[in-house]
Amino acid sequence: MEHSKFHQITREMSDPAFIEEIKKMPGGDKILDCIQCGVCAGSCHARFAMDYSPMQVLKMAHLGLKKEILSSSTIWICASCYTCASRCPRGLDIPAIMSGFKNMAMKSNVTAPIALKPKFHKTFTEIVGKYGRMYEPELQIKLTEKTDVGALMHNASLGLRMFRKGKISLQPSKLSPSTHFTDIVKNVLKEEAPKK
Amino acid sequence: MKQPKIGVYICHCGGNISDTVDVAKVKDAISKCKGVEICETYEYMCSKPGQDMIERDIKEHNLNRVVVASCSPRMHLDTFRGAAKRAELNPYLLEMANIREQCSWVHDNKELATTKATSLIRGLTERVKHLEPLETKTMPVNRDVAVIGGGIAGVLASIELADKGYKVYLIERNPSIGGHMAQLSKTFPTLDCSACILTPKMVYVSQNPNIEIIDMAEPVAVNGSPGNFELTVKIRPRYVDKEKCISCGECAKVCPVKKWSRHEEGLTQEKAIYLPFKQAVPNAYVIDRDQCLWFNKGVCRVCEKFCKGKAITFDQKEETRQLNVGAVIACTGYQQLDSGISKEVFDGWDVFSQYSFGLHPDVVTNLQFERLMLQGMHRPSNGKPPKKVAFVLCVGSRMDRGIQYCCKIGCMNAIKHSLLLLKAFPEAEPWIFYTDIRAHGKGYEEFYSNARGHNVKFIRGRVAEVVPNGDDLILRAEDTVLGKHIEENFDMVVLSPALLPNSGTGQLSKMLGIDLGPDNFFLERHHKLRPVDTKMEGIYLAGCAVGPKDIRETTVETMATASKVATFLGRGEISLSPEKAHIETEKCNNCGACTQYCPFKAIESTAKGIVINSISCTGCGICVPKCPTEAIDLKQSTDRELTAQIQGTCETDGDKPRILAFLEKTTAYGSADLAGQTRIQYTPDVRIIAVPSAGRVGLKHVLTAFASGADGIIFIEGDDSPFREDGVRDHVNGMKKELGKFGVESLRLVSMTTTLPQFDKVVNLFQTFDERITKMGRVAPEKRKRLLEALGGGK
Repeated sequence: MEHSKFHQITREMSDPAFIEEIKKMPGGDKILDCIQCGVCAGSCHARFAMDYSPMQVLKMAHLGLKKEILSSSTIWICASCYTCASRCPRGLDIPAIMSGFKNMAMKSNVTAPIALKPKFHKTFTEIVGKYGRMYEPELQIKLTEKTDVGALMHNASLGLRMFRKGKISLQPSKLSPSTHFTDIVKNVLKEEAPKK
Repeated sequence: MKQPKIGVYICHCGGNISDTVDVAKVKDAISKCKGVEICETYEYMCSKPGQDMIERDIKEHNLNRVVVASCSPRMHLDTFRGAAKRAELNPYLLEMANIREQCSWVHDNKELATTKATSLIRGLTERVKHLEPLETKTMPVNRDVAVIGGGIAGVLASIELADKGYKVYLIERNPSIGGHMAQLSKTFPTLDCSACILTPKMVYVSQNPNIEIIDMAEPVAVNGSPGNFELTVKIRPRYVDKEKCISCGECAKVCPVKKWSRHEEGLTQEKAIYLPFKQAVPNAYVIDRDQCLWFNKGVCRVCEKFCKGKAITFDQKEETRQLNVGAVIACTGYQQLDSGISKEVFDGWDVFSQYSFGLHPDVVTNLQFERLMLQGMHRPSNGKPPKKVAFVLCVGSRMDRGIQYCCKIGCMNAIKHSLLLLKAFPEAEPWIFYTDIRAHGKGYEEFYSNARGHNVKFIRGRVAEVVPNGDDLILRAEDTVLGKHIEENFDMVVLSPALLPNSGTGQLSKMLGIDLGPDNFFLERHHKLRPVDTKMEGIYLAGCAVGPKDIRETTVETMATASKVATFLGRGEISLSPEKAHIETEKCNNCGACTQYCPFKAIESTAKGIVINSISCTGCGICVPKCPTEAIDLKQSTDRELTAQIQGTCETDGDKPRILAFLEKTTAYGSADLAGQTRIQYTPDVRIIAVPSAGRVGLKHVLTAFASGADGIIFIEGDDSPFREDGVRDHVNGMKKELGKFGVESLRLVSMTTTLPQFDKVVNLFQTFDERITKMGRVAPEKRKRLLEALGGGK
């Protein structure tokens, strides 16, 4: 999975306003505290699937490489398990920063290297907005409807097994979310809608 | 008081002043002031003819007060006071008006600069009328020294001072002196044996007639003043007579109780009656009261029967001793981070847990590794020689909170351990996991490159986790240079924990009346120029009690400390500046309010009334406005002097706002001088008055200023003053609240602290505050009238 997308950093690549943008994100105020020790990268369970390690993403942020970060797989692969954040000596909330990058990528309409991920992000938000909690079957169907039948069948068999064990139900358990909550979700989706 | 006859001397400074300030006009205005006998201007006042002129006038015109208006008093106050002294005028009767750094150099507008210079000089002429002649006093000092802490710093300080002829009490809380250095195998970068260089010094200490070791002892109270301290020391019983014990070890052979050895870092066991280590000084056994069967169950005393020298004394009691000393050195050293402290410092987080420390016996600290080296290198789990060893640096150091600083010894220590390991087992594989290698000392970089040459593997990356894997350990980290994940098996993992101030450092700081820094180590008086002094005269620092450092650095620092102590005590007396607070006993009702505010513990409430220790008092004047009965005053900055200067300075022509700035006389005032030297321009509305500290200026002075024509008041305190940022803020906020009662807006007061080089911050405040006051407009005359009435007719 490891591949370097660029061989040198040129003046045109660096966006000096990027760091200020990051500082405004939740958790982004401490971005410049990073001492590049690598404990996040060493701790990351999803590291093998990322094109850049979390530490490298933070470094790229310092250098203002906005486009490179927003088009990287790292920000989408981060599972927000918080192992890195719990070990970071400088107290950086790395998953929050990654989430911020995800939002930024959605807004700025950057093509993600893993096509499914942004879609997952959006669908997840929509379903939670609709029912007040997750409804896995709908998520699966929505995510796989345009891809191949094989994957659908594979997921269906997985779904069946989960159903037998009582992990999922056929009916979404509706929490009838409050109007406040649905408003929040609507706003998020509106905010994240790609700018034309 | 004699009728004041004031001489005022205005300097042109070769155009530096006279190009901007119309000195002739100033002379005209000042000559008309009451009490001014003579007013002269001269090209260079500081030159020989200039000084001669002042001396001649003092004699010919019988002048009894002098004002020199020229550069900053920081520049030439001593020069002109010297001239006064030569003319047999008490030097404290001469003052300087700063019309160069704080006037001509910072203003363009000739008219406004001239007005400002006039008002500055007028303030001083009013002030000098109230000056009193003062004399410098001397006090005899005790020439004995107490050294607290018997590590390498304490040992060296004691030797250095004893050799200079001072009597030293070396107070050590453990049964032996030697400290952490006694635990080390070899020292970097020379790899010489730690014990071989330390123990002869320890023996020298024990044999030197000028040094008395007081072991198992801790100070519990410190009284007195610089030059004459009284230390109360609590001495725990050893239960063994040091004089009689010949360290034969028969007692330990028969003792039935085993406990983990402190000296061996808990790796091996020893008996409840034990010798701390072979070369211990004093070389005598000691009974661990918590472990001994006699003290816990009332049985045994077998050791007593077998002791050939009849040295064991179960009836020994705790003692207290009084020590009278002139100076104290605090060299209490460090302690290493452990799980318990980690949870305290990092809100319940144990930084050791991710490295399986305590879970697997082969995960050890670097101090334990030192002991393993000396015991014959082996894995604690199975006693076999280790092959692959990982050194984990920065355990708990360089965090965003709790322990922000670097331990300073971890890198070089790990490199030393790697080389020693390779020497013992050439087939071994040391890996060092680092964040940044810090090889800053003499010979350190060479040592580092030597290790690289020996194929020590340096991996740049903080270790993520260490997990037990059967007998071995799995270590996970990122090689940040390659950007690759590393997962390796190791036989042993050595952690480099952070260093913290030793336990009890906080308590001792309170006892001695000195400060702790944000890192909880002792705070030095000045980071660069007074690195071993504390804010208390007569109390000095050395070694790791000031911050983490290696042995060489500790040695250098200790020599400096010993030299400072010798300088302080060597003259046999200390001279005291007369600029101190004093009590007017008839006004004092012994309420004790002042005692709470003194940052130097110089004020004491006694049965006979309040007593101010003139040695401890630094003359900051913080106590003065706090006195409800106005019973305290400060020499050379008395209420009358200050009030007169405020009134004189506020008396200005023109309709521009008048802003008074009270600047702490060393750092804040110096900062304003620096602004002058860089020729930054700022508003001439601001007139600066030097005060010992912003805390010297009370509500009465603020009201006087507003009544006499001021429209805004600025307080600036030096960053290094005893009156810290929150102290200044509280003081000024208190006055702001009171100000409302007199109908003056609280926005007309402002305060801040500054360091010397932050003069742009100072100038910025002048500018923005002037804009604010201009917008607010001047204080209405009827308000001033009311204030004047409230003050009792302006007095």
